[in-house]
Amino acid sequence: MQSKLIRSIVYWVILSPLVVVILFPFGVMFVTAVRPRDELFVFPPTWWFSEFRWGNFAEMWVKTSFGQALLNSVYVSVMSTLLALALSIPAAYALSRYRFPGKGAYRTFLLMTQMMSPIVLVLGLFRLMVALGMVNNLNSLVLTYAAFNMAFTIWMLQSYFNTIPRDLEEAAWIDGATHFSSLIRIFLPLAVPAMAVTGIFSFINAWNEFVLALTMIRSSDDFTLPVQIYSQVAGRYQVEWHHVMAGTVLATVPVAIVFSWLQKYLIRGMALGAVK
Amino acid sequence: MPALPAPNVHDGSEMTSFSGLKPLAMILPGLFLAMFIIGYPVADLAYTSLQEVSRFGKLQGFAGFANFAEVFSDPLFWSSLYRTAIWTVCVVAGTLLLSLPIAIMLNEDFYGRGLARVIIMLPWAISLTMTAVVWRWTLNGRSGLLNATLMDVGIIAEPIEWLAEAQLAFTVEILVGILVSIPFTTTIFLGGLSSMPQESYEASMVDGATRWDQFIHITLPLMKPFINIAIVLNVIYVFNSLPIIWVMTEGGPANGTDILVTYLYKLAFRFGQLGKAAAISLIMFGVLLAFTILYVMLVSRGDRQPEEVEEG
Repeated sequence: MQSKLIRSIVYWVILSPLVVVILFPFGVMFVTAVRPRDELFVFPPTWWFSEFRWGNFAEMWVKTSFGQALLNSVYVSVMSTLLALALSIPAAYALSRYRFPGKGAYRTFLLMTQMMSPIVLVLGLFRLMVALGMVNNLNSLVLTYAAFNMAFTIWMLQSYFNTIPRDLEEAAWIDGATHFSSLIRIFLPLAVPAMAVTGIFSFINAWNEFVLALTMIRSSDDFTLPVQIYSQVAGRYQVEWHHVMAGTVLATVPVAIVFSWLQKYLIRGMALGAVK
Repeated sequence: MPALPAPNVHDGSEMTSFSGLKPLAMILPGLFLAMFIIGYPVADLAYTSLQEVSRFGKLQGFAGFANFAEVFSDPLFWSSLYRTAIWTVCVVAGTLLLSLPIAIMLNEDFYGRGLARVIIMLPWAISLTMTAVVWRWTLNGRSGLLNATLMDVGIIAEPIEWLAEAQLAFTVEILVGILVSIPFTTTIFLGGLSSMPQESYEASMVDGATRWDQFIHITLPLMKPFINIAIVLNVIYVFNSLPIIWVMTEGGPANGTDILVTYLYKLAFRFGQLGKAAAISLIMFGVLLAFTILYVMLVSRGDRQPEEVEEG
């Protein structure tokens, strides 16, 4: 007991510089978001401020058309996640349950596309969307996010599907159920948690994506949140930092909470599948 | 592995007759989308890189390797390449050096471990863009709260312009890069540590080994595959990472913090030099492919034993 206490103190002391550096920007974010505007550029700089201006959030919402960007982000993240899941669930099931020719090559293909970064292809992707007439169209992001996320979702789903015992399905076949009905009635209900977790991570990936959104979307009505907040900062002479920070608080905190809550599933899925 | 169950009857009869076309039909729709969205741009980049391209994106005819020649004679390409190497090596090395001890601590039982885990994983939950935006304000040369803090504590007397000078800005960006890479890397290491055989530690304790001996002779060798994977994955992610540098300095001042991706992005979408940008994209694609193949080799080496048993 004694040694655990000592170890706890030593570890926290060692970790404390990192903890401070991680929490520092969160402090900055909150303190700036609720600051009165005329206390932003004080000199010498100080953490102190005279009052909590919760009105900053409402003001920011209207002035930066935050609501529209939020809707755009929700649309793109939900649609790309649904598309990725719709295509990944059968693929992951096939990987987990069947042998088929080219399975090894397919797994290699998945691993490789998982590593493929949009930024290296961004010019080609832009030209593709020009050719399809989809520049400035949120669906261009739905398609690309789904395509780039799919390798990850298939891996995650497959590694979870492998943990669902085949015996249950096989027992149903013996009882005369068709493969299709055993899939629907027995397998899918057991797989719901895996699909939910995978879907949420796919959602977060899409929610946080920057480069493609910056490239494909040109008009501010169609900006997603990261681009909308970036546009408040980039190339402006006067940046309304209290609005920017209020925006980052609203855009990041809910997602961060969900992520922290579900992180152990991500770690488990990675341990089971992708990183073995 | 003797403990694994023999393939059951259904695997022999129903599964094979069943598994001819159906599994292929199940993977094909997704495969088509991925091939299209990833394959088309690669082909298009390869084609464009060999064309002369006007400022308005019109292809003007075959140009051979002129775009590549232009890239290789461009001093900004070489300085960006050099900085990409520094950026990648520093961020990856810094991340690994910090993440291994962090993972070892988080793997042990101590008061508040759950909280420590959540805090250390926090940067992973936030998009790089938002992190970079917040740091840009935190580091503001006049009113940034980092200056406020350092002045309050008495470390500096005058505010520092963190992002105004390239060398300092680049150093700060590397530090932010390390910070955001720690959670993922720590996660990989935690996965590795949780599979460590406890007996070897206990045995070595009996033999009077110190914790340092244990680290050098047991932990490090057993962790080697995980360290390899962490290195390769981090190299891939960091080498490609645009948001931190783009949001904090846009590669400036005076191209002083440009790495290949920021330079490529400027060429393509600011300066309209599509041929050159396509050539750089292809070069980067080649590098990425090389590291990806390395990763696939590492992963399939680690995964072979159970896989062979399962698939016969």
